[in-house]
Amino acid sequence: MADPTTTTTTSAPPAAPAPADTVTVTIDGKAHQFPKGTVLLEACNAVGADVPFFCYHPGLSSPAVCRQCLVDVKGQPKPVPSCYTPVADKMEVQTKSPRALDVRRQMLEFTLVNHPIDCPICDKAGECMLQKHYFDWDAKYARNDGIKVKKDKVVDVGPHIVLDQERCILCTRCIRVCDEVAKKHQLEMADRGDHEVLTTAPGHKLDNPYSLNTVDVCPVGALTSKDFRFSMRAWELTATQSICPGCATGCNIEIHHSRGKIHRLVPRVNPAVNKHWMCDEGRFTYKPVHAGRLAAPFVRGTPVEWDRALDEAGKLLRAALDAGPAKVGVVFNAQSTNEDLYALGRLAFDHLGLTKTYLAGVDQGWSDDILVSADKNPNRAGATAVGAGRLRTLLDLAKDLKAGALTTLLVVGTDGVLAKDAAPGALPLDRLETLVVIGTHRDAVAAAAKVALPLAAWAEADGTFTNKLGMVQRIRAAVPPAGDALAGWEILSHLARKLGATMDFTEARAVFNEAKQKLGFMKNAEWGRHMLPVQLRFASTRG
Amino acid sequence: MADTLAPLHPRRVVLGFQDTEDMIAPDLPTEPIPLNMGPSHPAMHGTVRMVLEVEGERISSADIQIGYLHRCFEKESEAATWTQVFPYTDRLNYISPMLNNVGYAMAVEKLLGVTDKIPERAQFIRVIVGEVSRISDHLTCLGASAMELGAFTVFLYALKAREWLFELLEEVCGARLTSTYLRIGGVSYDLPDGFDGKLRSILDRTRVVMQDIGKLLDRNRIFRDRMDGIGIITQADALAYGITGPVGRSTGLAYDVRKDHPYLVYDRFDFDVPVGSVGDNFDRYAVRVEEINQSMRILDQALTQIPAGPVMINDPRIALPAKTETYNSIEAMIAHFKIIMDGIRVPPGETYSYTEAGNGELGFFIVSDGTGRPWKCRVRPPCFPATAVLGKVLPGLFIADVVPTFGMINMIGGECDR
Amino acid sequence: MAQIVLDKLAAKFTGGEIVASGTELGDEWARVRRDAWVAVAAFLRDDPATKMEMFIDLTCVDRFGGGAPGASAPEAARFDVVLHLYSVSLKHRIRLYAGVPEEDPSLETLVSVWEGSNWFEREAYDLYGVRFKGHPDLRRILMYPEFVGHPLRKDYPKEKRQPLVRRDAGARD
Repeated sequence: MADPTTTTTTSAPPAAPAPADTVTVTIDGKAHQFPKGTVLLEACNAVGADVPFFCYHPGLSSPAVCRQCLVDVKGQPKPVPSCYTPVADKMEVQTKSPRALDVRRQMLEFTLVNHPIDCPICDKAGECMLQKHYFDWDAKYARNDGIKVKKDKVVDVGPHIVLDQERCILCTRCIRVCDEVAKKHQLEMADRGDHEVLTTAPGHKLDNPYSLNTVDVCPVGALTSKDFRFSMRAWELTATQSICPGCATGCNIEIHHSRGKIHRLVPRVNPAVNKHWMCDEGRFTYKPVHAGRLAAPFVRGTPVEWDRALDEAGKLLRAALDAGPAKVGVVFNAQSTNEDLYALGRLAFDHLGLTKTYLAGVDQGWSDDILVSADKNPNRAGATAVGAGRLRTLLDLAKDLKAGALTTLLVVGTDGVLAKDAAPGALPLDRLETLVVIGTHRDAVAAAAKVALPLAAWAEADGTFTNKLGMVQRIRAAVPPAGDALAGWEILSHLARKLGATMDFTEARAVFNEAKQKLGFMKNAEWGRHMLPVQLRFASTRG
Repeated sequence: MADTLAPLHPRRVVLGFQDTEDMIAPDLPTEPIPLNMGPSHPAMHGTVRMVLEVEGERISSADIQIGYLHRCFEKESEAATWTQVFPYTDRLNYISPMLNNVGYAMAVEKLLGVTDKIPERAQFIRVIVGEVSRISDHLTCLGASAMELGAFTVFLYALKAREWLFELLEEVCGARLTSTYLRIGGVSYDLPDGFDGKLRSILDRTRVVMQDIGKLLDRNRIFRDRMDGIGIITQADALAYGITGPVGRSTGLAYDVRKDHPYLVYDRFDFDVPVGSVGDNFDRYAVRVEEINQSMRILDQALTQIPAGPVMINDPRIALPAKTETYNSIEAMIAHFKIIMDGIRVPPGETYSYTEAGNGELGFFIVSDGTGRPWKCRVRPPCFPATAVLGKVLPGLFIADVVPTFGMINMIGGECDR
Repeated sequence: MAQIVLDKLAAKFTGGEIVASGTELGDEWARVRRDAWVAVAAFLRDDPATKMEMFIDLTCVDRFGGGAPGASAPEAARFDVVLHLYSVSLKHRIRLYAGVPEEDPSLETLVSVWEGSNWFEREAYDLYGVRFKGHPDLRRILMYPEFVGHPLRKDYPKEKRQPLVRRDAGARD
């Protein structure tokens, strides 16, 4: 099963709670210790009691509206909502007493009374909490064949989300996400009784930058993402853990993919980085992986085999270096992994002794104090550390090009090299005799290159990013590289060999291990264990 | 008249050469020649390759190479739900698919702990279709082997009887071979109307066919010459290799799962288990003929004793809800959805379940990890060890003996290679 | 049903060769230490109270970190070789497990005890990569000789493609 806490961090693990802060709770006949303040529901599920719930979410406040988590506590006349009750010393809890099971079934029956028979067309099917809890705990057929209440079914509540009011089980998780995480009140419950519906707050749309988290937390298929709906069934998806490359926060994510194509990104729990959430912009960072990719090595505009392209690149760079290394420049990129950056640093600084090195990256953007960083590059910290002060800016590159100080340029990662709104001629790459590009996309920079080598994108590579807090986090390859693309450190190893330097990495982990020894900021980083991608059909719920 | 083994005509000189019997064997120059039989060879049905080393006509060593029909049953099962494995089991011993279905269903039910809760009618139906499959398996084996020895009429007679049985099975489940009739917890639907009368009529006609086959083969000089004393498997080898079923019983090993460890409702029937004595090809033929007769005996009793009742277990977590419920209530829709998409939740554990298939003890060793999909679904094929022992039995035989020996082992490629 | 077998094993092998044993769903099983594999098997075949003359099945399970009967989780070896034996005379069965670690996937062959284990061990080698020491002919049985990898291992993806093989003249069979 996917382990949500396998990230690499440089912070020390929290100290174990002192015995004075724990209470003893008996759950289903066995006594356990828990820290004071633990929610009873978390306590029960931690010991495998498997109490179902809908409205509770560990990252949100707990209103106890769904009543699904009711358990029997000795001494209490009525069943107790375990999501609202903190553990108390000497509490005795029965999660499977006849009354607790009965109450659980009754709540499910109520929830299902007006639920539309939408499973075949509902996106959540396969990862739906209602399906799971019904099958686990109820499994009795319907007693009521009355007409179900009709509500609106395809409500456009925002730029990214569609609402189906009939499916909504009124748990209010989405309202709390907007209120507590995005700090904007955009969703509300309206009307009462069995006509109660979820709707947008008057005058508002669901357009906050964290709106797609409501789709994650929705236990059923009431809120669905416009981008994802009807595109792929949940059980066909495989989850690979990675890090969002959208900005320097480095939210922990899962890439959900099927047969080599990514379908969506969802957040992973990491209390130190992103808790349970991620922003909407980050969710769309998977789209460039499958669009406009440089899929084969190109030499002067013609696709060729790797050997031929590497030979040509080696020849051109060798000639340029022989003529004078002072005129050879290298562009690092803040979107690259630590491993790619380390390999490039080794080649450029240690082996070739180059001095004209620059750092490119996507331009700054908006930020907030919730999750979004202004720096839209996932690894500026890593690039800066590898550069150790030797990397200059793109403005310096433009100046050097205009002054004719460079004849040859090797660009590793083309994101942000040509700014989107730059004036023509702002970066005169045509002043170069030789431009060798290692890039992911068929953009203007790759088109201008004499030799363009295809680079694996972030979702296709194993490596690490360093976020703005200095945490080194592991990304994992989810899909195979597009076309003939290879990882950056691998391309650089081949290129190094052509240039007479010894650098022969055969796997990303080897690069990581060497970088860990040489680079201070990676001293405490962990590569993480080998994890097989998890097929979602084994997970059976998400939300 | 036909009982004598003396030659009917004196041997004649052919083509100017002296008769080989006049030549002393050591004078004949021989050198070992590798001879490849199969995998595309009419006698190597089921697709098997035998790399023989022959000296003259005698085999000095045989390397049996299987795997040409390997279709990754186990790997596919690990990616399928418990119910989705049923079509794969059809294609194991594809001449008797119902028996494989039965073996697999019983293994999963054993892990679920519901073996006692399968409705009685479903158990009878399983026995009936299983025995029908067994008869068709044995008929195919006899027919094909006899044809390879030249008795083409026997082949046509046997397949005529098999056609009646296949047509009957087609009425039951819609397919002659890929039946997928059983489900975990019972069978997918009840027997069609008129099944009883049709099967009884087929059994009567099959008895006539068996008599005809017997008249054509039992005291047939050619058949006996080619089968008697050829391909002897000893009882010790049967034990060491794990050979069960008709091949094992022909060696004298009296082991039949239906008798020794009765399952389903086999303990309610009166039937005998034929056991051979010599372990040669003819014993295997005779054991199979008698097993067909005994199967027909079981079928007669089963048809008389079968009760009315449901054919599927009454457990909403195992049995699919009725379609009217599914389309009209969310509860049944969810149940239907979860059972099909997630698979039946079998508790974690592992077990080995065994039944008597056409070729012997068909075992299913299944490992469950608690999800709806098997962690491992191993088939213990009964003809696998029987094919293995050929490497020991063939050396010393003539090339021509390979045909009846291999035929009588009844190696079904789908089962041996999976 | 076969409790006598477990009792006999416990009585005869007192040096920890029987790591664990039990009865599950009516089947008796015992987990055997790797180095005692042949000794236990031969004992089961020959002892008059157990008399497991018939070899039924030998296969392998890739636990890949999952639960295995009688094996405690952190030290559980990756592969479990599973042996099924039957006694025709006494009509009882047993299942034996031997944990085989990933770093050294080898086990003694049972060919000296039951000849028929030959092909079953070849299949376990072919599909899981478990080598049987002393096996007279340990080569692939279901896969073709140029096949790369062991397909039933859990980390072998079902869709993995194999290189195409050309049979040139003079290639070995």
